[in-house]
Amino acid sequence: MRSMSVRFIVGVMIMGIGVPIGASPSNAQSIAEKAEACAGCHGLDGKPTDKIIPVIWGQQLGYLYIQLRDFKRGDRKNEIMQPIASALEKQEMLDMADYFSKKPWPDLGEPRASKEVSDRALSANRSVGCTGCHLDHFQGDGTVPRLAGMSREYLTKTITDFRTGARANNPGMSGLMLATSPDDLAALAEYLAGL
Amino acid sequence: MNRFSIGCAALFGMSGVLAGPGIAQEVKQEGKAAAGAATIAPVTQQQLNAADKSSSNFLLTNGNYAQTRFYPAKQIGRDNVKNLHVAWIFQTDVKESLETSPIVVDGVMYVTTSFSHVYALNAKTGEQLWHYNHKMGPITTFCCGPNNRGVQVLGDLVYVATLDSKLVALNAKSGDVVWTADIADPELGYSETMAPTVVKDKVLIGTNGGEYGIRGFVKAYDAKTGKLLWTFNTIPENSVGVWATKDATGRDMHRDIQAEKDQLAKTGDPYQKLGGGVWQNPSVDLATNRIYFVVGNPSPDLDGAVRPGDNLYTDSLVSLDLDSGKYVCHFQYIAHDVWDLDAVSPTVLVDVKGKDGKTIPGVIHAGKTGHLYVNDRKDCSLIRFSEAMVPQENMWVLPTKDGARMLPGANGGVEWSPIATDPSQSLAYAINLHQPMNYFVENSPYPNGKLWLGGAFKTIPSEAQAGNITAVNYDTGKIKWQVKTPQPMIGGILATAGGLVFTGEGNGKFAAYNSSNGKELWSFHAGAGVNAPPSSYMVGGKQYIVVGAGGNTQVDFHRGNNIIAFTLD
Repeated sequence: MRSMSVRFIVGVMIMGIGVPIGASPSNAQSIAEKAEACAGCHGLDGKPTDKIIPVIWGQQLGYLYIQLRDFKRGDRKNEIMQPIASALEKQEMLDMADYFSKKPWPDLGEPRASKEVSDRALSANRSVGCTGCHLDHFQGDGTVPRLAGMSREYLTKTITDFRTGARANNPGMSGLMLATSPDDLAALAEYLAGL
Repeated sequence: MNRFSIGCAALFGMSGVLAGPGIAQEVKQEGKAAAGAATIAPVTQQQLNAADKSSSNFLLTNGNYAQTRFYPAKQIGRDNVKNLHVAWIFQTDVKESLETSPIVVDGVMYVTTSFSHVYALNAKTGEQLWHYNHKMGPITTFCCGPNNRGVQVLGDLVYVATLDSKLVALNAKSGDVVWTADIADPELGYSETMAPTVVKDKVLIGTNGGEYGIRGFVKAYDAKTGKLLWTFNTIPENSVGVWATKDATGRDMHRDIQAEKDQLAKTGDPYQKLGGGVWQNPSVDLATNRIYFVVGNPSPDLDGAVRPGDNLYTDSLVSLDLDSGKYVCHFQYIAHDVWDLDAVSPTVLVDVKGKDGKTIPGVIHAGKTGHLYVNDRKDCSLIRFSEAMVPQENMWVLPTKDGARMLPGANGGVEWSPIATDPSQSLAYAINLHQPMNYFVENSPYPNGKLWLGGAFKTIPSEAQAGNITAVNYDTGKIKWQVKTPQPMIGGILATAGGLVFTGEGNGKFAAYNSSNGKELWSFHAGAGVNAPPSSYMVGGKQYIVVGAGGNTQVDFHRGNNIIAFTLD
């Protein structure tokens, strides 16, 4: 992983400097080239190489941009993503986010949750109001991420990180996760993964 | 991926096409009209001033500048409303929270949907004349749904505010963009879901963002050019106020004033990130050239420790001079709110009985607290507040780490739903929510434009929820009648000279009630939540009632995409 990220950073620096803003063909090609390096973790076909790595193919554009921005700012901590994001300027972040948002969300093959688990998850949703931001199919919009069909492992890790503060770039989410019981959260992770 | 409803295809305004098998057709790019032009005569300021007397058009979101939501047509009345039937249905491309107040001008209807789409329809047949599909920017920040509450027309321009915090003027006939103005930075938490109010060549607009640490405002833009004319910051640099320990109803809010003063000494005035959005249209008093609006909650909603002081002018009635945007007066309903029981339902200007029984110009507002407040239009002072429309328990218990139960819940009371009034009966009609909630508080620093609630509010699954339609006499403060509904209500209500009120519910029921006693006289089941304010109009000598049936994100009512018009034979 480390050598991968170093190569990526070098590649980005070579291609990134002096690239004109706007969707000219040469710019578009360089975005695709930059994006190839992301496949090392996030998957060649959009299916991440590890279940605790998030899907980014088909994710909401605004959300992808905000995460890259927050990695660069240090608001969100991650050893691998921080150096990668730090090499990107704002327009490149928007371009990369746009590129991945247009990809089809991969089918991770997670099973549909049982009725019992689903009922519990939906009851928790009615109480906390997840769909108020994530919308009624948990598809998200703008800066609010899609949760539907994300891996159970990544959802669980994210929920836990919000609760402990290990992920500190959304205190609103931290508050909501702390106000929700662990059993409800486990049901939500299983339910969302199976959507 | 087939899981998305067809409506989602409309969301990606930038690309227009969703990758994946089986996804529906490409949505038109912004600016290009569909077949058909919307032929209207330019709307004059005189027409707008007299909107309360027009029984053919519906020119403003809340009917007229006083926002009475009282429609003067009487063709549909108590005796014949039982014969009301569907005239037409229009199905928009967007299946998501539908909160629009349809506007009707010369037989052309303008409606909006979630994600800031605008449609022009033939008000007689429901046929689409044009569709504006706003090219949404990459950053949108919204707490409570991607909804839009409507447009207003002045001259030959249709004005709409968008989720990515822009103000757009469209050609009323074709839907082409004439000008666009950036209102504020969405990355900092600003967005728009309200309809603008257009008056005397000014477009007035508030902002969302009280859940994100913004500094709220009302802005006025030049209606012809989009140039910014004035900005009123809803949070003054000295936001501390008078250290009020009781709310407008006289109840103790359990503030620790000393702790707040200590905090103020440490961190200074918190005005820059204090919130105070303005969610809904201001009312306009043409005689005095003043506007009246209510201001939303302070940021963060639940954690008062980081924002010492009364947090002016959050949770307040505010009046400004229309031409200059200068402050005239205010009245704060709740100082230093830590329950998100902010002021959102739009103000209504009606003559009211003053404290001494004399009739004076008044301004009324239905609060999340569950009270209807009646204030003096001259100096904003409180005259009276009504009986509580919803159960209140444990009022002003402070939120805790493990949750403290209080009624009403954080949606109220009365949410953003506009009220209606019947001045001949001195009645105001409000739709209510009863949602027992636990209030949690959790400290966190300002998160750079992310959600900043300072905790959470959760409904209590073991406790039943419900709603009401309540008629309150604003001269006495007494409840005249109340109809209970099985679910909390959010959307809006319309009163008519035919002696009726019309309102809808989350389960799809849309009904007419006798405005004097609340007796149900007609109903229809729309198949999706009727959670929008109804309008009325006349075309070809026939009166119509029209309402959106598309559900609601905030209370999670069944989504749809219908605009439904009803008429008699």
